[in-house]
Amino acid sequence: MQTLFYKWAGLNTPMAISPGKTMNSIFSSLLILMTLFGIVREIPSQENETEISPVDNEKVSFRNEVLPVFAKLGCNSGACHGALAGKGGFRLSLRGFDPGADYFNIVKQARGRRIELRDPAKSLLLTKPSGAVSHKGGVRFNVNSPAYKILSTWIAQGAIGPTNADLAITKVQILPGTITSRPGDRQMVKVQAIYSDGSTKDVTRWSKFTSTDETIAKVSEKGEIEVNGFGVGAITAWFDSRIAVASLTIPYANRISPEVFQETPKRNFIDARVVEQLRQLRLQPSPRCDDSTFVRRVFLDAIGILPKPDEVKEFLDDSSPDKRDKLIDALLNRPEFVDLWTYHWSDLLLINGTRLRPNAVKSFYQWVRKHVQNNTPWDRFVHEILTAQGSSLENGATNFYALHQDPQNMAENASQAFLGLSIACAKCHNHPLEKWTNDQYYAFANMFSRVRAKGWGGDGRNGDGKRTLFLATSGELIQPGSGKPQPPAPLDGVPLSFDYQGDRRVPLADWLVDRKNPYFAKAITNRVWAKFFAVGLVDPVDDLRLSNPARNAPLLEEAATFLADHDFDLKALMRVIMRSETYQRSSTAVPGNQLENRYYSRYYPKQLMAEILLDAISETTGVPTEFNQISFPGADNQKTDFYPKGTRALQLYDSAVASYFLKTFGRNQREITCECERTNESSMVQVLHIANGNTLNRKLMEKENRIGKLLESDFTDEDLIRQSYLICLAREPSRKKLDALLLMFAESKDDKRVLLEDLFWSLISSREFMFNH
Amino acid sequence: MTGSSITLEFENMLDLTGNGSAKTCNGTTRREILQAGTLGSIGLSLPQLLEAEDKGIIKEKDDDRACIMIFNLGGPSQLDTFDMKPNAAAEVRGPFQPINTRGDFQISEIFPKHAEIADKFSLVRSCFHSGAAVHDAGWQMMQTGRLFSGGILTPHAGAVTGYLRGRKTDLPPNVVLPEKMGRGGGNLPNGQSGGFLGKVYDPFELAADPSKPDFKVPDLLPPSSLGQTRLDRRRKMRDLVEDSVSKFETSENAKMLNDNFQAAFRMMTSKQAREAFDLSKEPDKVRQRYGMNRFGQCCLLARRLIEAGVRFVTINTFLTVFDEITWDIHGSAPFTSIEGMKNIVAPMYDQAYSALIADLHDRGMLSKTMVCNLCEFGRTPRVNPAGGRDHWPQCYTVYFAGGGIKGGRAVGASDPIGAVPEDRPVGPAEVIATIFHSLGFDLEMELPGPGGRPFPLVNYGAKPIQELFG
Repeated sequence: MQTLFYKWAGLNTPMAISPGKTMNSIFSSLLILMTLFGIVREIPSQENETEISPVDNEKVSFRNEVLPVFAKLGCNSGACHGALAGKGGFRLSLRGFDPGADYFNIVKQARGRRIELRDPAKSLLLTKPSGAVSHKGGVRFNVNSPAYKILSTWIAQGAIGPTNADLAITKVQILPGTITSRPGDRQMVKVQAIYSDGSTKDVTRWSKFTSTDETIAKVSEKGEIEVNGFGVGAITAWFDSRIAVASLTIPYANRISPEVFQETPKRNFIDARVVEQLRQLRLQPSPRCDDSTFVRRVFLDAIGILPKPDEVKEFLDDSSPDKRDKLIDALLNRPEFVDLWTYHWSDLLLINGTRLRPNAVKSFYQWVRKHVQNNTPWDRFVHEILTAQGSSLENGATNFYALHQDPQNMAENASQAFLGLSIACAKCHNHPLEKWTNDQYYAFANMFSRVRAKGWGGDGRNGDGKRTLFLATSGELIQPGSGKPQPPAPLDGVPLSFDYQGDRRVPLADWLVDRKNPYFAKAITNRVWAKFFAVGLVDPVDDLRLSNPARNAPLLEEAATFLADHDFDLKALMRVIMRSETYQRSSTAVPGNQLENRYYSRYYPKQLMAEILLDAISETTGVPTEFNQISFPGADNQKTDFYPKGTRALQLYDSAVASYFLKTFGRNQREITCECERTNESSMVQVLHIANGNTLNRKLMEKENRIGKLLESDFTDEDLIRQSYLICLAREPSRKKLDALLLMFAESKDDKRVLLEDLFWSLISSREFMFNH
Repeated sequence: MTGSSITLEFENMLDLTGNGSAKTCNGTTRREILQAGTLGSIGLSLPQLLEAEDKGIIKEKDDDRACIMIFNLGGPSQLDTFDMKPNAAAEVRGPFQPINTRGDFQISEIFPKHAEIADKFSLVRSCFHSGAAVHDAGWQMMQTGRLFSGGILTPHAGAVTGYLRGRKTDLPPNVVLPEKMGRGGGNLPNGQSGGFLGKVYDPFELAADPSKPDFKVPDLLPPSSLGQTRLDRRRKMRDLVEDSVSKFETSENAKMLNDNFQAAFRMMTSKQAREAFDLSKEPDKVRQRYGMNRFGQCCLLARRLIEAGVRFVTINTFLTVFDEITWDIHGSAPFTSIEGMKNIVAPMYDQAYSALIADLHDRGMLSKTMVCNLCEFGRTPRVNPAGGRDHWPQCYTVYFAGGGIKGGRAVGASDPIGAVPEDRPVGPAEVIATIFHSLGFDLEMELPGPGGRPFPLVNYGAKPIQELFG
């Protein structure tokens, strides 16, 4: 979704093919026609509300009226005058984030030749964009346009600059805020700005619109929504560095009786919220999955391993009604739980041997592991990282800072990892997709400005990894634009005074993990949710910006509140997720829900993550994988003795451990704080590796493997096939398959060993094995 | 105040059995198209190809057209390569001298071998894009013709080719060498996928360095211990046990896994595919001619693959812009300076490209194979204090050879400092339209877009750069 930024930054370049007059006039005639037939629904203005446009006796405000014109027309976009170097000698701040500088450049710079106070129509500010004088950026408006009127009136009134007395915007909103519609419909929305004196203005004309999902609806420059698909989407409007969001619900074209939703079992609040959305969208939920599906699913999602055949049997034989609950509780207390979730959080924290020395890797990993083992509440876990001090080998958490060694990087990564917010854009200019300003960015980063360590800098591969983190008693981060530091403040938080005596990170961490912080609980809730459901309530999973709302916002809100109410006990959240009927649904579609993949009407099959898949193959074949090399960029490998034989992939500390299999199957390389570094998508290269590569084939050929053990017993062909199914797929074959396989066994002259290897290969390469479903 | 809510009621509801998916103009849904045959990196079924021909989407006579896209990751400096400004101030013109060529234009002295074959290729000196000056944005635009927005990933030109044409032989229709682009700094998708057409149209990725002495396609061949009987049995057994279809029919990734197996089996067992990837079949002299480095051997492999029936090969000149010296000449470490380009990047590039063009020409393949050299942007007109140049999407040069292109021309022109197009501006959509035109596609046609809605092959109104042809 960052692309949005580029669209704004760039669409209106000099050479871009613009729709031009014809398209505009076609568009407006269409609009008139559609209005006549009542297809376009206009939102009536409130009484006493004016549009931004000059009223005779009112002063035009540079800040609130002139700058929005530049933003809407793209004059201050990154491809035009908003570029860092400006364009044609004239520079504006990107999308008008710096009114003072813009005023200076327009009115004072170049000896004031851009403005003719005595004859506004001769001002270059008007003659260039209206085409009277050659303009590389082409004609942007004509002399009869509202834009022209605003700019010329402002000049005629004396070109008054921004002042402290300017009304400030307190809020921007889209009306209506929620829309339910259907494909083919068109609808106008209105954008309203509310100012500090309580007045409101219609700023639709000067707002920029985007649709979060164009497969559901598109939105025109003028704010007309065109619905073209089903589901839940959102339209965002940007005005003067502020974002407003309207949600869209487009029900599927199904007819489902209301009883279906009433009667669908609801175990907890998750089901209530999901079923409510399914009702609105007219999607029928799939029924509960069967027990053998459930046992495999919940083992893989909760602890990252396959259930053993006897564990499956025990579960299937249990006739107590609450056996699924009992299994969930048991899994949450298994040692393998610690392996899996330590691994997930090591992905998040970038524990990576190409950037940290082996001892530091180990100490960071063991710090995480200890806390997962103790089920430390997530808020305390994060608080400890943020306020870590001391030796990198004694306090593993300090390595978070060893990976991010300057205040900007610390701020950006802490925000990305723990709040799901990417604030990097605001490093250079106000964030185009968020409310964060450049000032806020530097205020936030300044909270980290006194973090220092002995031994930082240089190549991460050098030295012994022993670093000591301490806090300097002075030092401020300078904001380049102003040349001064911003008072240290959390995003949206109360600033500290410059002479605050303690560790600034303590109030920062207090603010960050506070349950009143609107992002903290949601960010971790969404991460945990996505591990179980394949797709986050917010997607991408670590992109919680305002302009990327959750598809089921009430559910995320309630789940985050649940987590905070349970003192950030992640196991409590996992338990409520796994107990929900939503999680326990079959992955088989029912009529009408096969096309959706966002609203949880069924369980979505997912390819096993690289490490789980490799462990599953090792376990099934009975041949562990060896890990004894660390792989540095440039095919430079080094030995490691951290991992004794039998170590599973999920027990590795480090993403740099050499493994062609893990790399090919898309493990998280842990270079940047982004869930996008991991992929669970199938590729030809993966499939060729399964078919011909030396991972699975070598394990199948290993003499002393599971197949060898099976052959030691005096099994019949039928027993052998049934055992293979149980070992690989945790279920019995159907009679039909069994007969077909028996026939293949009987007809072959090859020995049993070879036949079994081929059967194991077939079972392991099947989707039923390679996916959780 | 809070937003009021407007609910529009449905009148003619479909019943539950309607799957609610939109239809394309001819009444087929994308799902139906996907289900109609084995696909993708894999290829269209014959009936689909015939249907496509019936509809005039593909002209039968053009079935032997192909394209090699050389993507210059990093963004070469227009001013130091193909659009020199010898009369500009020193901080603009840079350190290199222009030389005459066999075409009617001059180029930089760092490409002497290009000069000798300049009658075979034509420059477009007025290319620009309007996205941000980050690598990834330009990758998307120059390879798909569009900047991604609203969650819609547009497909790579090679993926579109694979979709429209399917596979011609046992080889996949669309290949990327040596591997897909890595990180670009913006963490945006890089435009080298099937996008909304689906993952089945992702390119086949070599994932190996063909200049290595032990080069082979990873895992292309089964272990020698598995004979034909066992391979056949494995395939048969897998088909037999693989039966949870209803569970997986709604998961694109799960369908993809099976399609990948089908395609993998086909490649593994095909002598033609094996040999196409086997560079040892080339005489040493030929390999030397291309240069014994990764890019050189990728160019040679591209020629072999096109000969063997691949329709679209994309060669990434570099893997990322971070871990190696590329065209990304910011001047400061870890990047190189303008001078550095002369010694490190230019020689291998010059040698491999000129060898490829000459070889295609000698084999009579050039007239049917377009070779286009693209990049994500150019460089700043003024040399920066570090002695390099920074990102500049406002104006840069791309060039084309073969596939109907008449060589030796320079189309379009930049201003006196190479900062903006002065004549004949060319955007990414027109570059893609030029490729599709050469491949014989009807530019007016539509692809099945997201949700089954028609999606124009190229932006409405985008035309090929006609001055390049004939």
